[in-house]
Amino acid sequence: MSTLVAATILAPLTSAALGMAVRRRAELRDLATLLGLGAAAAASLALLFQVVANGTHVVRVGGWHPELGIVLVADLFAALVLPVALTIIFVVELFAIGQRRTAWGANPELAGPLLGVMTAGVSLAMLTGDLFTLFVAFELILVSSYVLLTHQGQRAQIRSGMTYVAMNLLASTLFLFGLAFVYAATGTVNLALLTERIPELSDGVRLGIGAWFFVVFGTKAAVFPLFSWLPDSYPTAPTTITAVFAGLLTKIGIYAMIRFHTLTGMDRLGSVMLVIAGVTMVVGALGALAQSDVKRILSFHIISQIGYMLMGLGLFSAAGTAGAILFLVHHMPVKTVLFLVGGLIENEQGTGSLDRSAGMAARRPLIAALFAIPALSLAGLPPFSGFVAKFAVISAGIEAASTPVVIAALAAGALTLLSMAKIWIGVFWGSTDDADIDREAAPGNRRTMLAATGLAVAGTLTISLMAGTLFDLSRQASDDLRTPDAYISAVLS
Amino acid sequence: MILSRSPIFQLGVQSASPLAVIVGVYLLFAGHNNPGGGFAAGLVLGAVVILRTLAGLQKPTFGPALITGGTLLVVAVAAAPILWGDAMLDQKVVSFDLPLLGTVKTGSALPFDIGVTAIVVGLVIALLDGLSTSDSLVSKGNPA
Repeated sequence: MSTLVAATILAPLTSAALGMAVRRRAELRDLATLLGLGAAAAASLALLFQVVANGTHVVRVGGWHPELGIVLVADLFAALVLPVALTIIFVVELFAIGQRRTAWGANPELAGPLLGVMTAGVSLAMLTGDLFTLFVAFELILVSSYVLLTHQGQRAQIRSGMTYVAMNLLASTLFLFGLAFVYAATGTVNLALLTERIPELSDGVRLGIGAWFFVVFGTKAAVFPLFSWLPDSYPTAPTTITAVFAGLLTKIGIYAMIRFHTLTGMDRLGSVMLVIAGVTMVVGALGALAQSDVKRILSFHIISQIGYMLMGLGLFSAAGTAGAILFLVHHMPVKTVLFLVGGLIENEQGTGSLDRSAGMAARRPLIAALFAIPALSLAGLPPFSGFVAKFAVISAGIEAASTPVVIAALAAGALTLLSMAKIWIGVFWGSTDDADIDREAAPGNRRTMLAATGLAVAGTLTISLMAGTLFDLSRQASDDLRTPDAYISAVLS
Repeated sequence: MILSRSPIFQLGVQSASPLAVIVGVYLLFAGHNNPGGGFAAGLVLGAVVILRTLAGLQKPTFGPALITGGTLLVVAVAAAPILWGDAMLDQKVVSFDLPLLGTVKTGSALPFDIGVTAIVVGLVIALLDGLSTSDSLVSKGNPA
């Protein structure tokens, strides 16, 4: 099992190094990248089965005691989210290989190796058992994301890239300050030890630390007042890059928040979180409605959906946290698929603008179908995974009698459906003889791109089918986080 | 390069760079027990590369190779203990007697630090490369 944990981090790093070495030879580079990312995804899936069967597994890096060294903790929460994240990256890389010859494709000489580095960062962020390694993992992800976002050097990318870099540097600096506070107050940054020591602190210090990290992780997750960097920067990047960012990066922030704030028992921050969650949902959904470009609409929806996860967390009940975890698992693939379909649309039409594209449903029924399934899922219609996830979160809200946030969630759901309908009407309906369509758009390898998107849609359908099992696992993961005795003893003994 | 016409700058960089390299190498070895380490060494050596490039003394192009080699070395050191059934990144420490230097203690942390140094220097070179040429890793180029 230790080997599996190591493989999820080391395999993508190796593939990044090898891909860098053979970056000018397309076949070898793609093979190295796919093998590395595939190996990591397979290892994480095996890890999930192992953890379900045998419980939390702890790796002491270098054999040091947790008081001194770094631990990697594969508990149920990490093991549940990690395979989803790594599979997404694998599928997107597949899509990227098909897309490369178009103007929207990322430069594969860079994208392959950097995705490898980012994957290693994602694995590390999810598995790490201490806050400082979490910081390092965030930096690993961010440094590669800076390059991926701006490497094409277009004006819009550089401009929004500046905001992105500035916001994330600010959050990283605050993170570092927060680490110093935590260490000064408790003498450790290990999460298991913090779980024991933070509840013993005085209320002011304890909630101060909680609020500080809420701001740090909230900036990464793009919650309400701190989201401005997201809808400007994401749509400018190449499709594949946006798809990975949309599916993963903000979610890592939420993941860290769920882990930290639940383990350390920050229940008193719940009411603040619920208010911000409600505002985030509605503002994101309203913002989406005002846009007229597929990728911009989808970018605003990321923000709206973050609100649901924050709501689940803010309830600080077993059902709420379970709902947040399930939402995370459902949301990552659905969001990625929608951006991939957005990429397919751009590829076909030469634009993602709603005004200048029409009639896709008649010309490309397959793409229409690939869009419809995740779009309905995102809006939360049964029988798709979005329904189960939203139902879990909202019923937890009703259970906790938090009426305002429940109403906000339902309203945001309706608004989401509305803007999905907007995309549908703009892109898929109407007549096709639009003179504005850019016929010069290079087609790329359409079959590979369609296959990758199809694979991802199949993945989201699998999540819908397995919703019952996943809900049980989320419930168990949430119980493990809320009563962390098993977590503490697994790490420390 | 911009500053290549200033003989003072050029001569200054030329005479300072061997010293800076010694400092960098010292940091690499000192890092085991004292402040320093692979990352700090990489920064010092990277600064030397930047200064020498600015002074027009050299223009290294082997950045990607250093990144690749460094990453592979780091991964190999991290993964090797697993083969022997130890934890990832576990260390082997060896000490031996040398003439003049006395007892020298070193271990598998050294190749790890060297790998980190190589990655940092490689990144600096790749960055310079991207800033100075149109045909480089960081250029927009045509997607191949």
